[in-house]
Amino acid sequence: MGLVTRKKVLSIMALCAMVGLLLFPVVVSLPSLAIGADAPDAAKKEDAKAEKGRDVYYKTEGVVAGAPAPKTVDGPRDYPRYNFESRVLLWFANQQHLYYGSFVLAVPLFCMVIEFMGMVTKDKALAKRYDQLAYDFIKISLTAYSLTAVLGGILIFTFLTLYPAFFGYLSSIFRPVMHIYALMFVAESGTLYIYYYGWDKMKEGFLKWIHLSMSVILNVIGTLLMFLANSWVGFMMSPAGVDEQGRYLGNIWHVIHTALWNPLNIHRLLGNMAFGGGVVAAYAAYKFLASKTDEDRAHYDWMGYIAMALGVAFLIPLPFAGYWLMREVYAYRQQMGITLMGGLLAWLFIIQATMIGILFLSTNYYLWQAMGRMRGAEKYQRYIKYLVFILACGYMVFITPHTMVMTPAELKAMGGQQHPVLGNYGVMSAKNGGINVIITTTVLSFVWYMRGNKVSTVSWAKFGNIFMGVFFACAYVNIIWLAILGYYIPANVRVGLSVPQVATTLSCLFFMFALNAVMMKGAKQMGPIEWGKISARSQYALIMLATAFTWMMGLMGYIRSSVRLFWHVNEIMRDNSPWAYTHTVGFAANMISFNVLFFWVSILFVFWLGSLAAKKAPVEVKAAVPGSAPQPAGSH
Amino acid sequence: MINQALDMGWPALALLAGLLIYFQVSISDPAAKKRATFKTFIGMIATFLLFVAIANYKENFYGENRLLPVSLVMLTAASFMMALYFANLAALLKIGGAMFFVAAVLSGYGNWLPQVEGGFPPKEEKLDFSSMTAQQLADEGEKIIFGGIGKNKEQGAIGKGQCPLCHAFHAGMLGERAPNLIGLPERAGKERLEDPKYSKGNPSKREYAQKEAFTGSGTAENGQEYIAESHACPSCYVVAGFGVKGTNDKESPMPAIHKPPISLSLPELAAVDTWLYVREGRDAPSFDEIVKSYEKFIPEADRPKQQEEKAGPASALMADGTEPVDQIFAKAQCVACHTIPGIPGATGTIGPKLVEGTNAPSRMKDKEYKGTAKSTADYIMESVVLPSAYVVKPFPDNTMPKVFGQKLSAGALKKIVDYLSQVYEGKEPPKIS
Repeated sequence: MGLVTRKKVLSIMALCAMVGLLLFPVVVSLPSLAIGADAPDAAKKEDAKAEKGRDVYYKTEGVVAGAPAPKTVDGPRDYPRYNFESRVLLWFANQQHLYYGSFVLAVPLFCMVIEFMGMVTKDKALAKRYDQLAYDFIKISLTAYSLTAVLGGILIFTFLTLYPAFFGYLSSIFRPVMHIYALMFVAESGTLYIYYYGWDKMKEGFLKWIHLSMSVILNVIGTLLMFLANSWVGFMMSPAGVDEQGRYLGNIWHVIHTALWNPLNIHRLLGNMAFGGGVVAAYAAYKFLASKTDEDRAHYDWMGYIAMALGVAFLIPLPFAGYWLMREVYAYRQQMGITLMGGLLAWLFIIQATMIGILFLSTNYYLWQAMGRMRGAEKYQRYIKYLVFILACGYMVFITPHTMVMTPAELKAMGGQQHPVLGNYGVMSAKNGGINVIITTTVLSFVWYMRGNKVSTVSWAKFGNIFMGVFFACAYVNIIWLAILGYYIPANVRVGLSVPQVATTLSCLFFMFALNAVMMKGAKQMGPIEWGKISARSQYALIMLATAFTWMMGLMGYIRSSVRLFWHVNEIMRDNSPWAYTHTVGFAANMISFNVLFFWVSILFVFWLGSLAAKKAPVEVKAAVPGSAPQPAGSH
Repeated sequence: MINQALDMGWPALALLAGLLIYFQVSISDPAAKKRATFKTFIGMIATFLLFVAIANYKENFYGENRLLPVSLVMLTAASFMMALYFANLAALLKIGGAMFFVAAVLSGYGNWLPQVEGGFPPKEEKLDFSSMTAQQLADEGEKIIFGGIGKNKEQGAIGKGQCPLCHAFHAGMLGERAPNLIGLPERAGKERLEDPKYSKGNPSKREYAQKEAFTGSGTAENGQEYIAESHACPSCYVVAGFGVKGTNDKESPMPAIHKPPISLSLPELAAVDTWLYVREGRDAPSFDEIVKSYEKFIPEADRPKQQEEKAGPASALMADGTEPVDQIFAKAQCVACHTIPGIPGATGTIGPKLVEGTNAPSRMKDKEYKGTAKSTADYIMESVVLPSAYVVKPFPDNTMPKVFGQKLSAGALKKIVDYLSQVYEGKEPPKIS
């Protein structure tokens, strides 16, 4: 057997091992699920009078197969504690685990995309750069992976130590799938290590495709793992599969597939990707700022750009996923939705709106700065001030609140529930207009960036340019017109206007990107992209993006968790601890900042540890002359 | 705070001072010596700022001091200052500084916004509604709906029933999510019951998500029964324009009020309904009549059981935490023995004056201190719950009752701790909240 054949056989065996690891938890779980499924039938035969319960969500009947949710009392039995607020300790442990978990789940998805781009790119130098980038990414995540596991352990111990009754109840409900969760984690670890250590062994031809297949399997496992973890959160917010007393009714699928599970899954998947992009962009920014040579600066500038572009690509659909989640929340319990958007937690949504604006403003700023490394992009610089104006207007409208919880004195001072002038901008109609204007402007910035150093050579270039200009102008007019129209029509009709507004924005995104790509095919280059020749300020924009995203994740997690108010499991298990109240906005903000900074300090430590590992010399990268570097995907 | 920072940070500062001396002795090149001295000096300033920031956090974390983000500004300044002079770590320090800055801005923003705190879950107390007068019952109803007597016109006031989340209660107020309930007692028996869609007496003809509250319950025969049915089975009849979106007004978004999460008992529902009548100057049906109307639409098995009164005197709380802090002090009789700056009438001299922001740090260091508290807040909590952990001289031990841990709710204790931790000798007392 030749060397190549032996490698192929070994690679296929490794791939089979991964598939085996993926299927292993499922196979192992089948008997237990089967028992769970058969149990009601068996019980029926044995005892026709078996106690039945009605599913609180699915409204189906099932044989009671578990104990009621415990009625806790404040004391050392149900709420043992240290000399510190237990909820804050759990908040910290949970948030750190979540940050690291999100990061290590997002990075392999990036790797898969970048490795694939490297494989399909015809330019060999560029292919090597992509491959090196994907390898760099996975190397970073490998160190973070161990820390994620450690933090997961700490989280479980925190639960067991501080909330034993609550954790005991959740564990009893999820018992049929607990071992699957553990086995999936083992499978994730196994596949990750095979994937990482097999990189050099499988770098060409057929073997490379096998390697890419491994990353697909790795991501399938990771995603399933996250879905399983989300089912706990979903159950706590919108329980199903139990009766009113919280007794398990034997159908684990109902417990997992709660009202909010799917929207939570999608929202978290997109959120993880945007977050992962932010972290890698910050890493690149750090390396860029610390670089001593032009070659290093060129490499990390490019890396930062790719990470930012990937992050923003997932940031754009995130508000729509959030909208779906909120719609499902309202459909599940209207008062839960109102508590979020118009009640106790509404100020936090104002912060969220502010942060979404910050994220888009940072992205735009980075793109404008990035145009500085392209000869020919100067022609757009004079128009940037108009974009700033448009973005600022959209932003101000977007963050204006409408109805807020106020004291009588505040109410009197304001002269009513809404401010006489600003109140007009607080309605959903105006806000939808604001955010769509911001996203459309970001799309426009991207289009300008992508054609920065190019002049289209297609025969219809002039027509194309006019068409694009008119298209964007019409988009702005349509979005703003619909926002104004919203003031003159009933609320139930107004809600429907968000659809054409979003459709307009997405049309700009997809259609203008596609048209631009066609126009720029074979375009005349005014000059190369001089990677590394970008201002240090741009790198701070990336850091701003990363920090703001981390902060927003912490904020939204807090909001999602707080909306249960004084319930451990909504309407099923009451929180009777001394911490069953909701903190003030200020306390939450301080706590989120602490979590964010702890995460960044620790991940910078992880980066530093990563740099200690034996380096895979980026010879190929350094060989590329800055400026003549091939264009990154997605940019041109 | 500076003292506390020095208490915590002195080893690090001493180490840097040692380095300073070492550089003076070991470096002979004057330029290099000057550089090293200067850098060490910068390091000492940054270290001091770091510990002041930590002390600020440590001292004020639970006090919910809105100036906590100042700590982050200090760390930002320290990071950038260090970055200026430590070139080899400049990138890391600048990035750290930028992150601290972003966090400081966002934290500051969060602290600048109006501070709304979600109260503790509604206390489950047993009241004998059946023997109340109509006005007393209406008052209890107002508490359930709005959280307090006389709060019905207050924006954002909300009680256990959560009704104002969706309903408006006064003329001219628009409830986009649910009908305005002004005039309901009159409307219920006329417009609603006469609406063909209501199908009075013939529930099978109804075209809503639910035809009856439960099989055989039938429809309402009078206005009160209509109100009871709309609480128990909101989807038995939906007012046009207020259904769940996409159901063509066939399904109501309102939860059944006798079920979780609201779970009002029948007597509580009677109180709520009585308020609806009394506030319009109408005669309300009797308690028994209202309860009977609900029994028609809520089967016995589904009726929420009233909370059993807990055995023993421990359940009789002096304060549940919903009161302003001065009332908590008054209800718990603290004012009789202690002088508390800022609390009207708190001029007692049987116990020590409570200026805990000043006293607590030194008392925790006292040799006779037997407690475990590490912060001012913990010390105050401990001295309320376990008064003997530290006995202030010359006051005798065992004078203060040791039952406050059971007699005050966690919310009330928290308010006491928050207040007292901000009381300093010679300074303006904090505002009562």
